[in-house]
Formats: sequence, structure tokens, C-alpha cells
Amino acid sequence: MLTVLVTGLAVGALYAAAALAYNVMYSTSKVLSLTTGHIFMLSGVFGAFFIGELGLPMPVGFVGAIAIGTLFGVVTEFVAIRRVLARSDEHLWLLSTLAVATIVQQSVGLWWGTEPKPFPRLIPQDFSAGIWDQKYWLPIATIAVLVVGLELFQRRTLLGKIFLAVSEDAFAARARGVSVNRVRALSYALAGILGAVAGFAAGQLTFAYFALGLTLTLNGFIALAVGGLGSNLGAVVGGLALGLLTASATYFFGGEYQQTIAVGLLMLLLLVKPEGLFGAKRTRHV
Amino acid sequence: MNLRNPRLPLLVAGAVAAVTLPFWAGDVYRVHLATLIAAYWILVSGLNLVVGFTGLLSVGHVGLLAIGAYAFAILAGTHEINPFVSLVIAGGVGGVCGFLLGLPSLRLPGFYFAMATLAFALIVTEVTLAQQELTGGGAGIAVPGFGGPFESPDGFYWLVAGIAVLFTVFTWNVSRRMWGRAMIALRDSDVAAASVGVPVYKVKLTTFTFSGVAAGVGGALFGALQSYITPETFVFELGMFFFICIVIGGRGVILGPFVGTIVLTALPEFVAPLANLGQFFYGALLLIVVLLVPEGIGHVFTWLRERRSPRTTDKQVVTPDLERLAAAIRAGREA
Repeated sequence: MLTVLVTGLAVGALYAAAALAYNVMYSTSKVLSLTTGHIFMLSGVFGAFFIGELGLPMPVGFVGAIAIGTLFGVVTEFVAIRRVLARSDEHLWLLSTLAVATIVQQSVGLWWGTEPKPFPRLIPQDFSAGIWDQKYWLPIATIAVLVVGLELFQRRTLLGKIFLAVSEDAFAARARGVSVNRVRALSYALAGILGAVAGFAAGQLTFAYFALGLTLTLNGFIALAVGGLGSNLGAVVGGLALGLLTASATYFFGGEYQQTIAVGLLMLLLLVKPEGLFGAKRTRHV
Repeated sequence: MNLRNPRLPLLVAGAVAAVTLPFWAGDVYRVHLATLIAAYWILVSGLNLVVGFTGLLSVGHVGLLAIGAYAFAILAGTHEINPFVSLVIAGGVGGVCGFLLGLPSLRLPGFYFAMATLAFALIVTEVTLAQQELTGGGAGIAVPGFGGPFESPDGFYWLVAGIAVLFTVFTWNVSRRMWGRAMIALRDSDVAAASVGVPVYKVKLTTFTFSGVAAGVGGALFGALQSYITPETFVFELGMFFFICIVIGGRGVILGPFVGTIVLTALPEFVAPLANLGQFFYGALLLIVVLLVPEGIGHVFTWLRERRSPRTTDKQVVTPDLERLAAAIRAGREA
């Protein structure tokens, strides 16, 4: 039972991180990018590649994985967001991010293989630790640090305040001399860093697996929709709740209906409270 | 149909080529491929009303395809019901599932709806894996053919192509009359559509249910063509493939997605390097189309035609009669 709780928390923390990455990108661009989960996947795969296959030391592999994640974030913004946002057509970004996500997932599948491969041990520890194994506490601790760090960044630093300003009203921010395009690119880089750190820390839990991206894109979104779009607190609560729920569902009913239960929960909540638990109510423009 | 339509000879030539295809294809595999395209097209024709006309971004229609195929396999295979009756029931089951999926998810805004359909596709895979007694689980299930004259590849091709023509005519009729106008109106602005009396939710739900029927029928024929299906047959990427066929072909037209389906299905079969790239190729193509011609490849042809023979418009140059104007102003001042 305790194992269920710990697994749920670890997986939930990962979902929460995915929801946070969604939020960071959404705040400046008002785009829900389908590439969110793929940041985590890339970081996991490249972490395993750098450390496991190339035999690089752990810190180098860590920095390498972060570099890949950041690069991916910026490239996404440049290729799939910037040009598309210039057009007025709604939802075109959905297609462009879907295309980038497919390209990345399939290239990794072709290059890395479609089987999950093990992620190297990051800290020397033998495998008898049970629930105190690093594959559980490492992602939980890392993501807790990330959440606090993100909160401090957005509330205490000038750059974070500029992010918030762009998120509140991009036109007003531009009128005050903020380069909205640059801030948007930076926010995608930030989401890339966030996703890469979390994906690297959770590598031992998820394995280096090319299809992880799609799962995280979906579950991170569910966590976000449950918690409320745009709310970081909601993202964390939603992610942890979803992780605990799927873990206990697996424990009580077997692993077959994980996704069904998660989506059922989402549908139920959206019917009762469409803006999510902590989301701001949106008014429709006519 | 207007007999003086300049496209008529092309249409007739296409129809003759499609009917006589088994005679000139020269290869059983090519007939198989043509049957596959026809089965895909049945689904895509329904999905086209959803994506291209109504503007709902459903990426998870592969789930409905799987439901149709499994319904047909269970009815015609396990319970040995007449295949044609099973086909109709499979379409019905697809429609009911589409209805049930649409009931909650069509109330959601765009991205939420896309995610709901994505989740639906994953759920169907999960359920087919879990329900071992019904679907054979991961090992899969055999799908019977239609028997009689439709057992041969050629006969089956004509059957599937005939059903595909039925669906095409249906969607074509829907799209150019009141229903189609309502769909396009609510795609472009649902608020404006609602304000002129289009029942937005009802139109969406009806369209989506119909696409479920099309997916069910398409799935049943697809299953019969494959003759053995596993959950692996209906990967999420297949759903994206249907979606990409429509986006690449162009929104709000029927011919574009049709050509898109043919090209995207046939191209990897004839160009071997593309087959290795698989989904990568579709993703890259989607990105190119979205960035360069968001209206779809069909739009390029329209544009080229406009350039070659620009539509002549009567220019009516209005030149102001300056003297009269000046006189009028002067008269006004003096008064």
C-alpha cells in the first residue's frame, strides 16, 4: 500500500511537471503545445544516451540533456509557434505542434529504437531500498525544487515579472517596450529546461522510451485541466491527484483501465466545473 | 448534375478508371491497396465533414475504426451472423460510440476536444487489450470475409468501392446544401452561426455521429480486408494519418481529402525510402503544409489556375466629375 502511495506521488510529480511546462508556454503564447511531453522524453532518452551509451560522467550528461531540452523548446517556438501566431487562423498551432511532436517522436523511434531502454543510476545506491529507492524520491524532490524555483522566479525576478506582464496583456507589454517575441522564445526555453530537469530526474521511473512523450502530453494536460489552466498551484494539485488516482486504480483494479479512469475523472470534473479547480473563469468574447 | 460542367469528362474518366481498376492494375497487391484506400476513404469522408467542414479537430477517429472492425469481427466471426447484417450493425455501433463520445466532448473548446478524442483512441486500445474473451486481447482476432462473389480480391474491391461511392455522394449532398452551409458557418464563427439560428451543438453532434457510422462501416471493411486484427493494428498514428489526409487535402472541400487519402496511402508503398520513415514523413508533410499553405494543397491548384487564366472581372472605373463637384460646392457656399 505504501508502495502505491510513493509510486503515485512520483508519477504524479511528473504529471505536475508536465502541467507546469504547459503553463509556462501557455502564459506567454496562449498556446497549449502538444510537444510538452516530448521535452521529457527527449531528456530521458538523451540522458540515457550520454551516460549509458557514451559513458560520460553524470553532470555532463545532465547538462547535455538540459541543453537538448532547451534547444527543443526554442526550436518549437521558432518553427511551430512564431509563424503560426502571426496568422489569425485559430487552432493552426494545434496542427503545427502536432507535426513537430510527430517528427520528434518518430525520429527518436527510428534512431533510438521503439523499445524502452533502462536509464542509468544517478546516485550509487543498491536496489534493496524499496520505497526509499532513488527512482521515487529523486523525481519528487527535484520537481518540488522546480515548483518553488518557478514560483520564486515569477514573483521575485524582473524577468519573471515581464513574463507575467506578457501573459496578462501582450499588447500592453509591447507598448511598454517589452519584446514579446523574445519573451515568448525565452518562456519556451524555460519550459524546455523545466521539462528536461524533471525528465532527467524521473528517467529511472519512466525509462528512456520514445512513446513517453504522448503519454505525458495527455496526462499533463489532464492534470492541467483538472487543476485549472494557467494556475501553477492547480497544476501541482492536479498532477499529484492524477498520479495517486491512477496508481491506486492500478492497485485495486489492475493496470488495464488506467487511462479510462483518468479520462473519466477529467470528463466528470469538466462537466461540473469547466474552469478546473483553481482556474480563472473565462468570459466569452462576442 | 450540370451536363456542361467542364469537370464532367474528368469525373467520367476517373469513374471508368476506378471501375475497371482490377483489370489494369495487373497485380493483386495493387488491388488490395486500392481496396484499402477505399476503406480508408469511407472513414475519411465522414471525418471530412467533422474536420474540414465543421472544424472540429478530432485526432482519435482510429478508436471508432477499431470499434467498427472489432464489432464486425465479433458478430460475423464469433457469432457467425450474415456479414452484410454485421456490416450494418458495425456502422450502427460506430454511430452510437461516436454519439456517446461526442455528447460530453463536443461541449469542450477546441484543444480540449482534440485531447478528448486522443484519450478516446488510447482508451479503446486499452479496452481491446483488457477484454480478452471478446477481442482476443493482444493476440488479436480473425475477421471473416464476405463470401460468395466478394471473396475474391476483385469482387471485394468492387464492394468496398461501391460503398465508398455511396458515402461520397452522401457527404457531397450534405456539404453543398443547408447542412453543409451550417457546418461551414459554425466552423468560421460559432457565435455568428448561433446568432443566425444554427443549432450549433445539434449540428456538431449529428455530424460527429455520422462520422462514427462512417468509421464503423470503414472499420468493418478494413478488418475484413486485413482478415486478422490486433490492438496493434489501430495505433494512434493511424488516427493522425486520417487527420493529416484531410488537413493536407484542404478544408471545406471533398476532392482534396480524397486525393490526399490516395496519395498518402499509395506513396509510401511505391517509394520505398518513405515507407521506412513512416510517420516521420507524415509529420514533416503536415508541418510543411501548415507553415506554407494552411488552406491545403488543393489551394495551390486553385492559385495556379488563377495565375494562368486570371478571372476576368469587369472593371468599372468611376471618375469623379470634378467640375460638377466644384460647381455644387460653390453653389452650396453661396446659398
